[in-house]
Amino acid sequence: MIVPLTHVLILAGIIFLMGLSCAIAWRSNLIMILIGIEIMLNAAMLAFVGGGAYWKLVDGQVFSLVIMALTSSEVSLALSMVVYLHRRKRTVNSDEFSAMKG
Amino acid sequence: MKLYLSLILLLPLMGSAVNAVVGRYLPRRASELLACGVIWGAFVSSLFTAFAYRGAMRVDLIDWLSAFDFQAPVSLYLDPLSLVMIVMITFVCALIHTYSVAYMADEEDYVRYFALLNLFVFAMLVLVLAENLPLLYLGWEGVGFCSYGLIGFWYSDEANATAGRKAFIVTRIGDTAFGIAIVWMFKLLGTVSITALNGMGSTLPMAAITGLGLLLLIGAMGKSAQMPLMVWLPDAMAGPTPVSALIHAATMVTAGVYLLARMFPLISPSATAMAAIAVTGGVTAFYAATCAMAQRDLKRALAYSTISQIGYMMLGVGAGAVTAATFHLLVHAFFKALLFLGAGCVIAAMHHEQDMFRMGGLAKRLPLTFWPFLAGSACLAGIPLTGGFFSKDSILAAVWLKGGALYGGLCFLGLLTALLTSIYTFRMIYIVFGGEESPGKHCESAHGGCAVPRLMDGILIPLALLGIFGGLINLPSYIGAGWLGGFFATMPGGQGIEASHSLEISLQVLAGLLALTGLGIAHYRYGGDRRREVIAAGQGDATGFEAFFLNGWRFDDLYRIIFIRPFEALAVFFWQKIDEGMIDDSLDRLASVIGRSGEGLGAWTSGRVSVYIVSFAAGAALLIAYLAWTIS
Repeated sequence: MIVPLTHVLILAGIIFLMGLSCAIAWRSNLIMILIGIEIMLNAAMLAFVGGGAYWKLVDGQVFSLVIMALTSSEVSLALSMVVYLHRRKRTVNSDEFSAMKG
Repeated sequence: MKLYLSLILLLPLMGSAVNAVVGRYLPRRASELLACGVIWGAFVSSLFTAFAYRGAMRVDLIDWLSAFDFQAPVSLYLDPLSLVMIVMITFVCALIHTYSVAYMADEEDYVRYFALLNLFVFAMLVLVLAENLPLLYLGWEGVGFCSYGLIGFWYSDEANATAGRKAFIVTRIGDTAFGIAIVWMFKLLGTVSITALNGMGSTLPMAAITGLGLLLLIGAMGKSAQMPLMVWLPDAMAGPTPVSALIHAATMVTAGVYLLARMFPLISPSATAMAAIAVTGGVTAFYAATCAMAQRDLKRALAYSTISQIGYMMLGVGAGAVTAATFHLLVHAFFKALLFLGAGCVIAAMHHEQDMFRMGGLAKRLPLTFWPFLAGSACLAGIPLTGGFFSKDSILAAVWLKGGALYGGLCFLGLLTALLTSIYTFRMIYIVFGGEESPGKHCESAHGGCAVPRLMDGILIPLALLGIFGGLINLPSYIGAGWLGGFFATMPGGQGIEASHSLEISLQVLAGLLALTGLGIAHYRYGGDRRREVIAAGQGDATGFEAFFLNGWRFDDLYRIIFIRPFEALAVFFWQKIDEGMIDDSLDRLASVIGRSGEGLGAWTSGRVSVYIVSFAAGAALLIAYLAWTIS
């Protein structure tokens, strides 16, 4: 492997933090939160693939495939909910949906 | 023999159990018949026992407590003392049960009444027949419990329930001392069997015997209402009148005297303990006689007379005359049951009026009650040739023979008390039965005239005969050998003290003269027209000495100041300062801190997704930081 595992993990960490800051910075927008989540999941996938290549095991690749399937279904579900929420309140601002207040 | 003894115990227990469990589903007659029948059955069994009796014997029924060295089987001991006690108890109790049927005819809650009454008799019989002290203690406590239930029988009235509690708590003080004595005896001698203990008394150091004697005396004080634990008995009059008769005559109060007579061989070597018993008895006899002089409530006057007579019995035990004490106990059981049942007739005829000053002229209206009551009073006062005369005199003779300044003084006190007894007894007779009917209260009933159920009057007659002729069971030695003395002579400690005939006769003449003097004084003060003056003078509140005696030398007030007030103050301190001030308050504070922090944390769940995301990220960061910290 040309790229050392450390670099892969650092890159994955950077991507994860970027995704997290995306979710936190644009937190008032549901779409932006979903994008941030996607980026974080991709960072996780990268870490899996890197690990799999390092230890010469296919498990990492299997996991990244599972995560891909999971992400696609999650996104479709989440987007349909965003559409539904938008219909209810004519907004995608997450702070408007505070019915779960304890 | 085993069968008879088992029947004596099991019949009352069965009657009580059946009445308590299914009594309310039985017809009233069946319930009453059962309650009386079992006691009469026990009486018949005890008669069979008496005829089959050949000598002191021990009967083992079942094993009860047996752990390591401690053995307390349910075993019974039959000796002359317990034999005469069971015959007397079952007979008097059977009469009282029969009387109760008529007396409680209007009572709704008769099932509870009869169940408790039967249980009372059972507990007393266990007490009397027990061969070891734990079993005796069981009966002892059973008697206490039943008296509590029966004194507070009409518990819907607060005063009655309080009287029941008072009896229970005051006697409990004595019971504690008795319990300590039992444990101590086991510690010292390794056994709790009464016969074994009585045989081993001489092996103990004198100080231990004195201590045990005093502890047993305190136990007896509680049950037998002796100074200073006598305050419960006058209040125990709150119960139905047959219950008063039961408590005062056959059961309960005689238990203390019985205990001391039973343990007499153990404690008699200690002169200190015996002197303490004698002084307690003598002082109590005098105290109660003075109190009885001033009572207005018929039943309270009788209650004080009971305390006084039990005092005589204690005096007898203290003078070493167990036979004389038991003799007085038996005769007293008959005439005191008679007096209480007679008082019950009077009270029933007067529609539950107990104030003597509102009665009057009952001799003509209730002749069937009056004559037996008069016979009982003659016994109580010790009019010559009645049972009470012989028994009281045998105690006084024993005290006199003991000699010394202490016993001489006690004998003088006893004679003085005999005079007072005669005065207050006939005061009672003159005020209740003498004169003409008082205008305030008529004893008219729906049937016309003073109607007392024939059954209630009829019960008085055998008791009156036994009271008057009770002296025959132990005649003084100058007439003939006393049966009871001869019967008891086989028992350890039962040997009578031989007095010379001249001394005995002179003492009896003196006592008889005192009783007749008392009658004369009572006649002078309360007879004829002076009765009306006394009643007129007694309409207001009692003052001076009369109030002092009326309230029982104000012992209730004294105890209120010495014990009840400090106890209440202590209780209030613990309640308000310790419980509410410290425990409750600290818990309240803790709860409010937790509650407020919960509210503060609850504000975090604002429902805003953004807050959750940031919190989630912060939490994850913390977790990772922690993992990085620990792993590296």
